Amino acid sequence: MKLSIRDVLKDKGIIVKNNHLPVLEERWEGMELLRKEAEDANLDDYDIALRNIPGGDHIE
Amino acid sequence: MSKDLVSKPVEELAPLIKNREVSSLEVTKAVMNHAETVDETINAFISMTREQAENAARQADQEIASGNYKGMYHGIPMAVKDNLYIKDELTTMASKIHGKYIPDYTATIIDKMKDAGIVFTGKLNMHEYAWGITTNNPHWGACRNPWNTKRYPGGSSGGSGAAVASDMSVASLGTDTAGSIRIPSSTCGIVGLKPTFGRVSKYGCFPLAWSLDHIGPMTKTVKDAAGLLEIIQGFDKNDPTSINVPENKYVDKLNGDIKDLVIGVNEDYYFKDVDREVEENVRKGIKKLEELGAKVETISIPGLKHAEYAELVTSLSEASAIHHRNLVNRPDDYGDDIRLLFELGELPSAVEYLQAQQLRRQLKLDYQKAFEKVDVLVTPTLPIIQPEIGQDTVDLNGKQVDLINHTIRFMGPSNLTGLPSLSVPCGVGKENMPIGMQIIGPPLREDLILNVGYAFEKTNPLQGQKPSFAKSVQ
Repeated sequence: MKLSIRDVLKDKGIIVKNNHLPVLEERWEGMELLRKEAEDANLDDYDIALRNIPGGDHIE
Repeated sequence: MSKDLVSKPVEELAPLIKNREVSSLEVTKAVMNHAETVDETINAFISMTREQAENAARQADQEIASGNYKGMYHGIPMAVKDNLYIKDELTTMASKIHGKYIPDYTATIIDKMKDAGIVFTGKLNMHEYAWGITTNNPHWGACRNPWNTKRYPGGSSGGSGAAVASDMSVASLGTDTAGSIRIPSSTCGIVGLKPTFGRVSKYGCFPLAWSLDHIGPMTKTVKDAAGLLEIIQGFDKNDPTSINVPENKYVDKLNGDIKDLVIGVNEDYYFKDVDREVEENVRKGIKKLEELGAKVETISIPGLKHAEYAELVTSLSEASAIHHRNLVNRPDDYGDDIRLLFELGELPSAVEYLQAQQLRRQLKLDYQKAFEKVDVLVTPTLPIIQPEIGQDTVDLNGKQVDLINHTIRFMGPSNLTGLPSLSVPCGVGKENMPIGMQIIGPPLREDLILNVGYAFEKTNPLQGQKPSFAKSVQ
């Protein structure tokens, strides 16, 4: 089952303005196209490099 | 005299103030008087703090008179973007929700600037919460471009760009998540520097997207930008993303010598779908750099293919996370354009966000490889010329295209990678609108890109042209 953008946002407690829906759909479709193009990228070796530093934000 | 004073860059005012040929109070009053007149049309200011500014200027004059000159920016009046916290002063993020917000602490960089003797004159208009590229603000009014008041100044730091270009502020600061320093700098014909991520503390700046946000100088000259970076740089334990590296000197390293420097040009991405006039001006700029002794090499950066997607998913998701609660509880208090972006940012999944970070990592490594072959990259700052206020599309060689996507195309990669990037004016195009050239460098090599910008600035790319509006009111 594919949820509409309105339903996805409603589940998060967000009320979408009616005039936003067509624009949101258009922009989301654009992002989906970009995502599909990115599927050919071989990302197996790419760590996201998020740092988890124990005990604080910086190693002093 | 006061008309001459307001148009001078910091590098020319500083010796006058240092030698007490003119006082900080005179400069401050002249700039603020000028701003009060000009801003009726440009709308770059959200608030002016004249009494505090004049008191600070008097203090600067006393310090200088007693032999305690602190450096190039001592006694220089300046307004800053209104997402930087100053304790007990209105800081609105140009929003309705924070319209009466008074911070109880001051941003680290503002403290550093106060220590350097900078005189704060007020807070500047911006795109609401910095989430846009036009500074067409629904709560505080549209900011106008002093080169052509019918057109956008760019954004989100549009107030900073317009204020510096029209001499309402001698220099300023902007913030940059997807180009918000470089876009208005290019569009307003000034210098804008996005430093390396982590070089400048963001503590006390309202975030837009944590992993992409930067703060940097917006100035009349490259030397002014170098001087301001010297002040605001440095490690800050209060900013979890701050990097602990030695502070650098930038002004003294400006010599304009770029002989044998290798300039990388990437044709596939940075010269694809570019306004003909922009392309012509930037290529002329590259030619000038070659004439100064630089060598040009074409390079490939394969990861750029997916940069737009990674930037969109990262910025949209992080911004929506920051604003989620208010989007649920008081959506009508946001401007329509950013509410839509916040709604859009709720849609990507966690997996998509994380894959965007993998693409980002790939992009960083690709740039790293590129900088093994070249010293800097030179690109157009923007592929388009900003349209009239109210437009959400823009002409690109006879075709109407989406304004946001095409404004941030050449910006996002430097936010994703954190690489230092400088925009310098390189010409004036149709409708009297300035064109910018972007210089991207390896991590922490602000000195290098500033020196390339300095060498280029010496070729007088604007041929002395000034914003028509600022000239007409002087």
